[in-house]
Amino acid sequence: MKLKDKVLVVEDEQNISNFISTVLTANDFDVLMAQTGAEAISMITSHCPDLIILDLGLPDMDGMNILKEVRSWSNLPIIVVSARTHESDKVTALDFGADDYIEKPFGTSELLARIRTAIRHTRTPLDNGEIAQSGKFTVRALTIDYDKHHVLVDGQDVHLTLNEFKIVALLGKYAGKVLTYDYLIKQIWGPKAKADNQILRVNMANIRRKIEKNPASPEYIFTEIGVGYRMLENEA
Amino acid sequence: MKTKPKHLRHFYDFLLTVAILAIATILCTLLRRLDDGSGYVNLIFVLAVACISRWTEGFFWGTFSSVSAVLFVNFVFTYPYWAFNFTITGYPLTFLAMLTVSIMISAMNTQIKKQEKLRLETEKEAVRANLLRAMSHDIRTPLTSIVGNTAAILDNEDSFSPEQKRRLLEDVNEDAQWLIRMVENLLSITRMSGGQAKIEKECEAAEEIVAVSVSKFTKRFPNIQVTVEVPDEVLMVPMDATLIRQVMMNLLENAAIHGGNVTQIRFQLSREGSSACFAISDNGIGIPKEKLPTIFDGGLSGVSHNNFDMKKNMGIGLSVCYTIVKAHGGTMTAENLESGGACFRFYLPLEEGINSEIEG
Repeated sequence: MKLKDKVLVVEDEQNISNFISTVLTANDFDVLMAQTGAEAISMITSHCPDLIILDLGLPDMDGMNILKEVRSWSNLPIIVVSARTHESDKVTALDFGADDYIEKPFGTSELLARIRTAIRHTRTPLDNGEIAQSGKFTVRALTIDYDKHHVLVDGQDVHLTLNEFKIVALLGKYAGKVLTYDYLIKQIWGPKAKADNQILRVNMANIRRKIEKNPASPEYIFTEIGVGYRMLENEA
Repeated sequence: MKTKPKHLRHFYDFLLTVAILAIATILCTLLRRLDDGSGYVNLIFVLAVACISRWTEGFFWGTFSSVSAVLFVNFVFTYPYWAFNFTITGYPLTFLAMLTVSIMISAMNTQIKKQEKLRLETEKEAVRANLLRAMSHDIRTPLTSIVGNTAAILDNEDSFSPEQKRRLLEDVNEDAQWLIRMVENLLSITRMSGGQAKIEKECEAAEEIVAVSVSKFTKRFPNIQVTVEVPDEVLMVPMDATLIRQVMMNLLENAAIHGGNVTQIRFQLSREGSSACFAISDNGIGIPKEKLPTIFDGGLSGVSHNNFDMKKNMGIGLSVCYTIVKAHGGTMTAENLESGGACFRFYLPLEEGINSEIEG
């Protein structure tokens, strides 16, 4: 018998959790459901799910508290479900250690893709197994060579500046995951850097001019408005 | 001035009051060198009070200055000079009249200011109410279809063929998608009216927002080819990115849904003077000529004439676009292309001085 991944869906709207549960069951996941924060916490400790889908708006507590609570003792992947207009919620959730977020309303394919990515990320021993082994990250025609500090597109060096390379390298290390603007700025320009997004935007625009065929329809690095950037992930 | 913190505002009003009274005093002193009479003194001070009550906030400074003007005139400009004297024949009445006039002017000014504020608010409220009415009306159509279609499937589970069921479900899906778009527009409006109609702008690379909108659009309409053209220069535009994305999505979706057999859309980003220009053109049938002049308020002023299917109404989406662009200090135009098809352009002001290359 095949071992199934266990997903806990924390959502107070019955209709939505039914829909998620139906989709997940049809795609070979074991599904547990919790409707309140208290129920969720007790189920997390007793069932040890492989992944949690967490709606931030729960009747008895702020979903953010569950996130903090779980992160205090476990790395198990958590995908946060949020409404579109609250960018700050997404950023806060990511900063508190959520692995990813998905916007309501979402489609089934999007949900499944996010779940698979999040599970795969926690299964790889280092942040990115491929880099650990070969010193390189490759997706489609793009290769990031971590040892030689350069980025190749179709085998050609695209001559990034040092900071541009740092940004691409970081995004590649966490490919598939959103890195928030704040996180990127702190990692590249140091903890004292102002939370001024402008310099990051301009660097990103320059990077796109070097690695993308058309910077306005990017293939490798995607923008998440109000949140951050995400590097395309290998579907392998 | 409304954005000033309260204590700053009070301080500003205080300075203004003192300054105007000082100017009146200096004027009277100068005039007295020419003529020893004092008929002009009262009039000048009444004028000063009128000015103060017009330019300061609330009732307080006007009243305060009327009282101090009366005392001041008595003290400085009335014989005996540099002393209070309310006993001279006829003077108490003069001062009483002056006090009354000053206080009346200041009260009337306050009243006018209040009415002006009320009128503006009522106007804003009316626009919002109109929009809400139009939207609620529009929402009923797809809801009816969703309820009808799903009920039909539930009631005839066994008798419908899989193809029939699929067709009904596709309709339900399309209607639900439409509702989502409508709600996103509603959310955009509440987002703008939430914080004192002031939007929070942050400098964004315009091409990023274009890219996000186009990729989202292409997912929903994979059969329409979108070509994107951006300049070599990075255009940094201060904007609320979520709202501007909404504008782009509305324009793209309008082209796809109302354009009439659109197969290609061109999205051009360029710099025009001190503005970023976003142009979206399609190869559809264009905009009916009679609609062009009122295209951006179509959904609002035309609520009453239901001569066409509400679902085909693109007025609301466009008026939301127009409102958002205007709130950013930009402009928006619509025209038909000579080659056929429609072209919508909107311009957003650039912040000067930061569009140069910044190497980290």
